[in-house]
Amino acid sequence: MEHSEPTEQADGGSALNGHFDRTGKRPVPGGSGCASAAASAGAPQPPRAEPGAPRPVMESWREERTRSVEDNQTSLPSLAAAYTTILRGLGEDPQRQGLLKTPWRAATAMQFFTKGYQEKIIDVLNDAIFDEDHDEMVIVKDIDMFSMCEHHLVPIFGRVHIGYLPNKRVLGLSKLARIVEIYSRRLQGTPSGRRSKVSAPCHLCPTRLRLRVRASTVQERLTKQIAVAITEALKPTGVGVVIEATHMCMVMRGVQKMNSKTVTSTMLGVFREDPKTRDEFLALIRS
Amino acid sequence: MECRHAPEVNGGVDRNLTVCKHYSLCKEKKETKDNVEAKEVSKVETAYSSILSELGEDVDREGLLRTPLRAAKAMQFLTKGYKETTQDVLNDAIFDENHEEIVIVKDIELFSLCEHHLVPFFGKAHIAYLPNKKVVGLSKLARIVEIYSRRLQVQERLTKQIASAISEALEPAGVAVVIEAAHMCMVMRGVQKINASTVTSVMLGKFHDDPTTRKEFLNLTMRK
Repeated sequence: MEHSEPTEQADGGSALNGHFDRTGKRPVPGGSGCASAAASAGAPQPPRAEPGAPRPVMESWREERTRSVEDNQTSLPSLAAAYTTILRGLGEDPQRQGLLKTPWRAATAMQFFTKGYQEKIIDVLNDAIFDEDHDEMVIVKDIDMFSMCEHHLVPIFGRVHIGYLPNKRVLGLSKLARIVEIYSRRLQGTPSGRRSKVSAPCHLCPTRLRLRVRASTVQERLTKQIAVAITEALKPTGVGVVIEATHMCMVMRGVQKMNSKTVTSTMLGVFREDPKTRDEFLALIRS
Repeated sequence: MECRHAPEVNGGVDRNLTVCKHYSLCKEKKETKDNVEAKEVSKVETAYSSILSELGEDVDREGLLRTPLRAAKAMQFLTKGYKETTQDVLNDAIFDENHEEIVIVKDIELFSLCEHHLVPFFGKAHIAYLPNKKVVGLSKLARIVEIYSRRLQVQERLTKQIASAISEALEPAGVAVVIEAAHMCMVMRGVQKINASTVTSVMLGKFHDDPTTRKEFLNLTMRK
């Protein structure tokens, strides 16, 4: 995986995964209080990223969709044509019975695997945030996750464990799984490799500094996206997300290590600051 | 591209086919193998590029810059079985041995591509045969699995192809092949049943005719 030399930038550069209309509709995340995850200190985001221009590193939960259901219909024929070319290029006969409708099926399947681009977090979460006087840990574990590696277009699958400490607001439990779905059903991958900034809402970070972290690989990015989305939606005292996954690009090809698993985690707020809370979370997801 | 004049490259039993039989009569220009492969990869690469942009992605972002090439090469690797034959792989590793008891190689990892959705399916293959004066090097059974699984496949056909290949190569008293696999096309999309697995089996010769032999094989293989 290539990583360019890290260069400090005002807001770190990084590509959104999902950008249908190149001329256009760059999402401008809504500001929320002191630090939205993406907006560069008040400056409006340019619609198309030029090198050096500040770009959001993580999609805010208010992001726009980059693809619509109608787009799916219109792009189906060219996707199918591309798959037919692929079949021929691999030495197969697209006219044989088993492969006759494969280009269409494969195209529809691929659209399904990337349906996260059609969905907005805010649609999923909007009505399921409740005021509740509960300040003990809430964990949803063993959420099955399926994604696609953006480097080889081969599946990744695994489990996600999410824990958070509510701060007067709780989330409908299935919504955690829906957040996982939205972000995992995309091509997950490496942003620019430059130092990227995840900006956590102020109240999570005692010194009110923005967190500077390198958001690098496929799975790390997914983990962070989920954690940041929950943080922005609920403003909890802390969030922890752990993903353990198998990458078929490593299992089916390349090094071909059958039993390898990749584990990534993101801890925000009190999960990061307090080791005991973190330990409790990790013990509970292991049990 | 190489001519393939067989009715279905993958559809039938192994015909030891790599090169078109009519090659010398074909009007196709003779090109070196490398050139041909490079051209194929390049076409597939262009197709992947177009797929990425149609899906709503930005093909110019850093993470996706070389993805079409990587995906094309990955796909070539995952379908490399088309270019291999049982003869190449057996490597003359067939030995005369006076052994007539069941030989089983089980838990052979298997990775293939569903020909309907181009999405992986993977699992384990268990192979048994009753030698008839000839035994085969054990890894060759796994290599035969590799040849047929690294193609666009349907699990039923894959099982049959493996069984037939062993049958033709060794002429044993019986062959049995069982494959249990998880299909990502069912897990990641469609019905989305995570724990479902598909089991197919082919029994030839004595495994087919004699229930006791079959039972012995299943007991030795399928117990957890």
